[in-house]
Amino acid sequence: MDIEKKHFTCVTCPVGCEVDVEVQNGSIVSMKGNKCDKVKEFVLQELKEPMRVLTTTVRVEGAKYAMLPVRTDKPIPKRLFLQAIGELAKVDLRTPVHISEVIVKDIAGSGANIVATRTMEIRE
Amino acid sequence: MQADVAVIGSGPAGLVAAIEAYRSGAKDVLLLEREEELGGILKQCIHNGFGLEQFKKDYTGPEYAECLIEDLGKTGVHCFLNTMVIGVSADRTVTAVNSENGVFQIEAKSVVLAMGCRERARGSIGIPGTRPAGVLTAGTAQRLVNIEGYLPGKEAVILGSGDIGLIMARRLTLEGAQVKGVYEIMDYPGGLKRNIVQCLNDFDIPLYLSHTVTEIRGRERVEGVVVSKVDEKMQPIRGSEKFIQCDTLLLSVGLIPENELSKGAGVELSRTTTGPVTSETMETSVAGIFSCGNVSTVFDLVDYVAQTGMSAGRNAAGFAKGDWKGNRESVEVLAGENVRVVFPQRYCFRDDLTLYIRPAKPIEKPVAIGISPVEISIKRLYARPNEMIRVKVAKEKLKKVTGAVEVSITER
Repeated sequence: MDIEKKHFTCVTCPVGCEVDVEVQNGSIVSMKGNKCDKVKEFVLQELKEPMRVLTTTVRVEGAKYAMLPVRTDKPIPKRLFLQAIGELAKVDLRTPVHISEVIVKDIAGSGANIVATRTMEIRE
Repeated sequence: MQADVAVIGSGPAGLVAAIEAYRSGAKDVLLLEREEELGGILKQCIHNGFGLEQFKKDYTGPEYAECLIEDLGKTGVHCFLNTMVIGVSADRTVTAVNSENGVFQIEAKSVVLAMGCRERARGSIGIPGTRPAGVLTAGTAQRLVNIEGYLPGKEAVILGSGDIGLIMARRLTLEGAQVKGVYEIMDYPGGLKRNIVQCLNDFDIPLYLSHTVTEIRGRERVEGVVVSKVDEKMQPIRGSEKFIQCDTLLLSVGLIPENELSKGAGVELSRTTTGPVTSETMETSVAGIFSCGNVSTVFDLVDYVAQTGMSAGRNAAGFAKGDWKGNRESVEVLAGENVRVVFPQRYCFRDDLTLYIRPAKPIEKPVAIGISPVEISIKRLYARPNEMIRVKVAKEKLKKVTGAVEVSITER
């Protein structure tokens, strides 16, 4: 197969290395512009299946705020984001909720769990 | 009421400053917060990317806040919630008000200003047109969506490519709104590169550089906006106008340090940052009054905010204990060639000097950061205004400096 030239911006950390990569059969032939080795890992994953941590909110009853912030406990395929959001719209949740508590297991069949990112007490 | 250290504001800067002041030996540390809980703006920043440097973890804003609040709980810091500080005087008397104590005063040995910043709004940028509902700052939209649970609109245009605007472009998209585009008046993006990728490119949201909104249309509610290309002087180009139908316009057009209290205390403010002029100890021009975080200058990363909070907390405790008398002799730290902002603005020979440098323009070539008269030159692959450069200079190297320290960025 031909060598393809691709450009990526690594989002692993705020440095945001911009790399020019030559790709053949899903593997990296050459890479320019990376400041660390994590960029290679990132590019390989981007070629296979872009993965991101999803951060969003779910509605919660009995708290002083309407929404509870949540995240996936590990990156999930980007293409599952909207399906995950759809599942979260159906969640029935009441306080108290503790930080890191699992809200939904195996969200959108991704193998990742949705966890709370803050503690929310019962409204006094 | 008496205190060793009074910290105003409990966002990341204030939390870290209070914890650090206590750990550094100040006994009575008070933390004053106008909202009903600690954490400041972190609570609505539900995205990840916080604390990569400080905790080596990829926290969300609320997780980062809870982490600091847990640390705070292990100290003897006394918190006042729902408490609005209405005045700080040069003799470090803090006047505050809440519904339990009414108006009360705290005589503090040292004060840490950590009030953060606020967003520029429509009035600051003067967009012509009608005044319908649906024009709001990105941060207001963030609070509505992430905390209150309201979607501010269904079809949005975002003006300005600051980080909050980019984050909200993704957030609105995930919540089912259509984001028609992000328009930036400059010819380079305002936010971090990673946010352009994760928030715009990932969702096919277009970014238009050298564009601005030149008219808002609609009577009761926004019905659309007119966008125009701008020339190199940032003036709209006649004939380039395009109408875009939308019901919401989000503004992400910059942040301003919130310094009403600093002014009241007679603290000298910098013309470039609009925040207090401080030394590397985070002490302002008024003895015993320190400032840290975004009230000083707007930082890109919470890690930088936390670092200034740590320095302010430690030195405020030292001042309160009488270990030192504050800044005596100091030299100026100046922004030289290709530098828009350098923070701090003074050096008083007490600590190492950590410089935060905002380039004046993008230079997409290898650059050298010079810190004259010290013979150090730091190499970078490029310099961009949306990425603050941090450089640490050991105090040994600065011992002999007599005139000013000048920071410059040059192509190499």
